[in-house]
Amino acid sequence: MNNENIEILKRALQRQKNARKQAEKILEEKSKELYDITQELKTANQKLKDLVDVKKTELQGVFDNLVDAYVLMDIAGNVIEMNHAAVALFGYNISEEKLNVVKLIYKEDYQYAMVSFQQLITKGSFTDYKARVYTKHNGIRSVHINASIIKDKNEKIIGAQGIVRDITEQLKQQQIFEEQKAQLSVIVENSSLGIVLTQFGKIIQTNKAFQNLLGYNKEELLNLEVKDISLKEEYAKSADFLEKLNVGQVNKFSVNKRYLKKDGGFFWAKTNVAAVRNTDGNINYQVALIEDITEQLESEKQRDILVKNLEKSNKELNDYAHIVSHDLKSPLRSMNALITWLKEDYADVLDENANDSLNMLLKKVDKMDHLIAGILKYSSIGQTEESKNTITLQEVVTDIIDVIHIPNHIKVNITSSLPTIKGDKFRLQQLFQNLISNAVKYNDKEKGIVKISCEDDQQFWLFSIEDNGPGIPKKYHEKIFQIFQTLDQTIESTGIGLSIVKKIVDLYNGKIWVESEENIGTTFYFTLKKQ
Amino acid sequence: MTLTFLLIEDDEIERLKFERVLQKNKYPHKLIKAENGEEALHILECKEECPDVIFLDLNMPKMNGIEFLRILKSDPRLKYTPAIILSTSNNHNDLKECYETGIAGYIVKPLKYEDYAHKVKCLIDYWSVNELIVK
Repeated sequence: MNNENIEILKRALQRQKNARKQAEKILEEKSKELYDITQELKTANQKLKDLVDVKKTELQGVFDNLVDAYVLMDIAGNVIEMNHAAVALFGYNISEEKLNVVKLIYKEDYQYAMVSFQQLITKGSFTDYKARVYTKHNGIRSVHINASIIKDKNEKIIGAQGIVRDITEQLKQQQIFEEQKAQLSVIVENSSLGIVLTQFGKIIQTNKAFQNLLGYNKEELLNLEVKDISLKEEYAKSADFLEKLNVGQVNKFSVNKRYLKKDGGFFWAKTNVAAVRNTDGNINYQVALIEDITEQLESEKQRDILVKNLEKSNKELNDYAHIVSHDLKSPLRSMNALITWLKEDYADVLDENANDSLNMLLKKVDKMDHLIAGILKYSSIGQTEESKNTITLQEVVTDIIDVIHIPNHIKVNITSSLPTIKGDKFRLQQLFQNLISNAVKYNDKEKGIVKISCEDDQQFWLFSIEDNGPGIPKKYHEKIFQIFQTLDQTIESTGIGLSIVKKIVDLYNGKIWVESEENIGTTFYFTLKKQ
Repeated sequence: MTLTFLLIEDDEIERLKFERVLQKNKYPHKLIKAENGEEALHILECKEECPDVIFLDLNMPKMNGIEFLRILKSDPRLKYTPAIILSTSNNHNDLKECYETGIAGYIVKPLKYEDYAHKVKCLIDYWSVNELIVK
């Protein structure tokens, strides 16, 4: 081997050595890198593991604390996991007993459950499943379920999870609500009052009565505003009220206004409008109740006319009585004067017969005058507005006894204290005076007795005026209260006194009647309404 | 003192009654009679026959007593003449209206002539002793 070759070999060896050294160095570096990476990976792995643990704990927390029930099951429907809410809902503890979800399905909902389960398998999920379930302790509950399937990495279905919400109470509330709503709408729909709900002047709800009143159907009304069915000249007034309602000055108002019907006619209605406010006090709606008062107004108008006519004819009648009686009075005065002059001027030529005739004539004239005065008195009762004062009847009756002529053989006594009532003094005086003076005047006994008394009879005062006079035959007990009916033929008895008494008693919403026995006496009873 | 009375009365016998009272009592007073308000106004317009006292019936055809009274009381010259109502009515409203318009008396004519004669005599005696505005 020559030197050249050796040299070549040496160099080659040297190169090899170097290369090896280099390779060793690289190897060493790579090994270190590898070690480092391994270390890093180890750490990262640990971190990851920790992280997973944390997440898993977190998830467990969420899972457990979920308000809704959470159920995890295998593909056969066996429950693998339940959170607290699920345990509470269904009542099963799967660590103690096996549970398959089929057991929970309410019999009648089975078909529906199967369809939903099919959907879960084919589509991977279902939502808004609503059905009933059996629970261990809570009976049948209504639930809402959203479910999805769980697959492994190979896309193989390994189970399903469901979030279950107990909606039993909610359904019950909803049912109650629906029921109340139905009840309310029955009332609203069958109300004879028109009812309309408006918002910012737009009609948003009406009932049948309202539709019928206006002649529009429900849909047509929804396109209308309040002003479309109001008369222009009246809308301003309602708008004023509405403004007050809007600013909260008032909460409701009532107005009589006219409504325009579809056929162009209108009707009068009493309208009660109330505000429906939200919690902030702002108005959500106005609700208006509408009552057709066309007929009412018409009958009111009729009544007003009747009352006016009645007042007029009443006044005419009173004026008539007034005028006629004065027209009748004048000739009587002339007659009296002429007869008197005859008697005076021809005293020396008139014989007894002639004088008697003239005197009888005078008496007739006198009687006629009494009659006319009676008519006037009778017709004036109730003509003017009676004043209502506090009247002490004890005083009034005592005064009457003092004033009227009572012969010595007759005693008039008040046997029980008389009340104080509200009324017109003059009328009450007339009432008592007529009865008392009758009792005195017609008394035919040696010792005449007249007793006046009163008792409390609930809403009335019951008065009685009793005498021991001649009595009144039964057949006249009603008749005596009629005008011009008298049992006596003397000048003063015109048959008006008792009819005046009756009219006054009527005025005080009382009754008058008589009890009497011939030759024994008579008692007049009458009642006066308190107040 | 001789007074001049104006009696406004549509009823003839009523006028006779008043006259008879004057005669029977031998009063020296002068009586002017008018059958209604228009006639009375006509008399009053003639200034020479101005009555001292007027006696006035309320119920008369055409112009009634109240209407006459209103005209009388709105006349600046005549409004001082006392006017006394003679009426068959004691109706409250009539009385009130008369006193409101301005009267010097209100006599309700009684049925009996004797009572009437007595009342009119009282009136005449009363006005005989009164001071009156001389025109």
